[in-house]
Amino acid sequence: MSRDGSAGRSDGLAGWLRGWGPAVSMASRNLRRNRVRTVLAVLGVCIGVLAVAALGIFGNVLALGADDAIGDIGTQVVVSPNNDAGVESLSDADVASIRRAVDGPAVVPLYSDSATVARQGDQTFATVYGVEEPALAYEAAEGRLPERHRQGAILGAGIAEDLSAGAGDTVEIAGSQVRVIAVLVESQTFSPVAPDDAVFLPESAFSADGYAQALVVSDSGAEARAAADAIREAVNAREERVDLFELAALVDEINEFFDLLSTFLLGLGAISLVVAGVSILNVMLMSTVERRQEIGVMRAVGVTRRDVLRVLLAEAGLIGAAGAAAGTLLTVLLVAGLVIATPAVDAALVIDRTNAYYLLLALVFGVGVGIVSGAYPAWKAANERPVEALRS
Amino acid sequence: MSDRDVPDGPTASGYAVELRDVVKRYPGGGDEPVVALDSVDFAVRPGEFVAVVGPSGSGKSTLLNVLGLLDDPTSGQRLLDGTDVTSLSVGERTQARKESIGFVFQDFHLLPTLTAVENVALPTAFDPGDASDRAAELLARFGLGERLDHEPTELSGGQKQRVAIARSLINEPAVLLADEPTGNLDTETGESILGEFERVKSEGVAVIAVTHDPLVEEYADRVVDLTDGVLTGGIPEDDADDSPGPTPDADDDARRSGRVRRGGRQTATTDAGGER
Repeated sequence: MSRDGSAGRSDGLAGWLRGWGPAVSMASRNLRRNRVRTVLAVLGVCIGVLAVAALGIFGNVLALGADDAIGDIGTQVVVSPNNDAGVESLSDADVASIRRAVDGPAVVPLYSDSATVARQGDQTFATVYGVEEPALAYEAAEGRLPERHRQGAILGAGIAEDLSAGAGDTVEIAGSQVRVIAVLVESQTFSPVAPDDAVFLPESAFSADGYAQALVVSDSGAEARAAADAIREAVNAREERVDLFELAALVDEINEFFDLLSTFLLGLGAISLVVAGVSILNVMLMSTVERRQEIGVMRAVGVTRRDVLRVLLAEAGLIGAAGAAAGTLLTVLLVAGLVIATPAVDAALVIDRTNAYYLLLALVFGVGVGIVSGAYPAWKAANERPVEALRS
Repeated sequence: MSDRDVPDGPTASGYAVELRDVVKRYPGGGDEPVVALDSVDFAVRPGEFVAVVGPSGSGKSTLLNVLGLLDDPTSGQRLLDGTDVTSLSVGERTQARKESIGFVFQDFHLLPTLTAVENVALPTAFDPGDASDRAAELLARFGLGERLDHEPTELSGGQKQRVAIARSLINEPAVLLADEPTGNLDTETGESILGEFERVKSEGVAVIAVTHDPLVEEYADRVVDLTDGVLTGGIPEDDADDSPGPTPDADDDARRSGRVRRGGRQTATTDAGGER
């Protein structure tokens, strides 16, 4: 903008800021001249911001909810022998090298078989695992998990329910009577080692010469992934001895899907914000055309192009800011209303910090849309030659 | 027999504003450009009130725009307070307009959202410092001390024009340019506005009014005629004999009392009068 008003006033940031005071004051008065039009433009931005913020938050709540539901799926890595390479079972040496590789997460080797489990006429077919340290991988709902599993059976939640068995009862496993020492809590996770329909016996009950599987139990998805990578590198270094089943990758994909969903919803909201921007553009164009002479007079009496631009940008910015503020407030009310009306939505998910980010994003977008859409009409009006503007 | 002194008009060595051999051409509809100003020589002293008359479409508005730094001449030279301002950047022109030129329009052109005092301070609204005291002072001088916070819709035509004159003076300009200042006013109000112009010029401001109103011509020290882009009597006559230091108010009393044309002293006036 050439050197408009350079003499005696371009004293840096302070001077730049000072010019906005009268600009905003004039702008707000101009907006009050045609209240209906201003209110409609504000409403447009308000709806756009509402759409962006609300859809953004909905998507985020969905993702957070899913994350909550699939929970610790991603924290378990299941190591199995690689049958394709002729490895039938995991040896003690394999388990030892897995333990060395993962450094941190607990490694729980399992024998595996299947057997008929019966109690008082009910009977069912179940997977039977031999495990020495069940407490590392599981939690008891009833009874107590021993540090070292020496005797008795631990029932999965599903089997216990089928047989109506609890801790202290006796069940018949493959023909022999075994006392139930604990029942596991219902499993939230999805895993090839499904504890709900399984029975856990001491290792001594098995006479196999190798483990069928080993569970690597981590605290977080990231740790599980690191453990899986470490096992691949250490145990599978020379030959592919083991297969890894890790759900961290699956969780990643699920998260990716929800990210995509969030983006999609945000995109939907953004369309309405663009529409709002067009309405601001329209309002500003109309209003600058109507005020052509006034702007010409301002320029003629010595108001610089920059200051005219400021007034008009302030008008558009005020519309955007007012709409964004109203839209943000409406979003908060709408989401609060939904939480109250829908018991299924977990309030903790809604007041999550990440949702505030969507509110802020929508607010910034609203003001931004105002200024961007106001820029062209403002620039056009400020740069019109006052001679032309005054002539009309 | 001057009844009051012009503060610095006669003593000023130069003109408040001057055009030398100025040509303004517009691209016309056909091949030939339209010549709005044809070799115009024009000069106004500080404290002089000049009326520019002529038929519609003769280039009066163009003259005012070129004088007011709203438009640039195609060729020729333009001086403001002795400084060459022929070709300035947009920003420099804006600055020069703010500092040295006041505009008064036929339609007053006040901003409807601003109060009287804010309208007067408009040229300085974005500058550091608050000019509202000076604006209020100016309005009080023009008899609008009671109407400082009125919006233009609450003011009469004459009051609006006074606000506009006050606005044109906020930066103590060298030149006041008026485009049909009495065009939208009844005779009585028009006369009082012209009375204000007298006061303005008594402060050493060069007043140039483009007009169709014979009343304005009566108040003017000099009337120049612009027909088809040709300006007659643009330079004060006594300057032809190289004697700067005019006495623009010489006939004030006579003019005031009898509203007589100031014939004879300046040929331009006679010419203009003759054509009417």
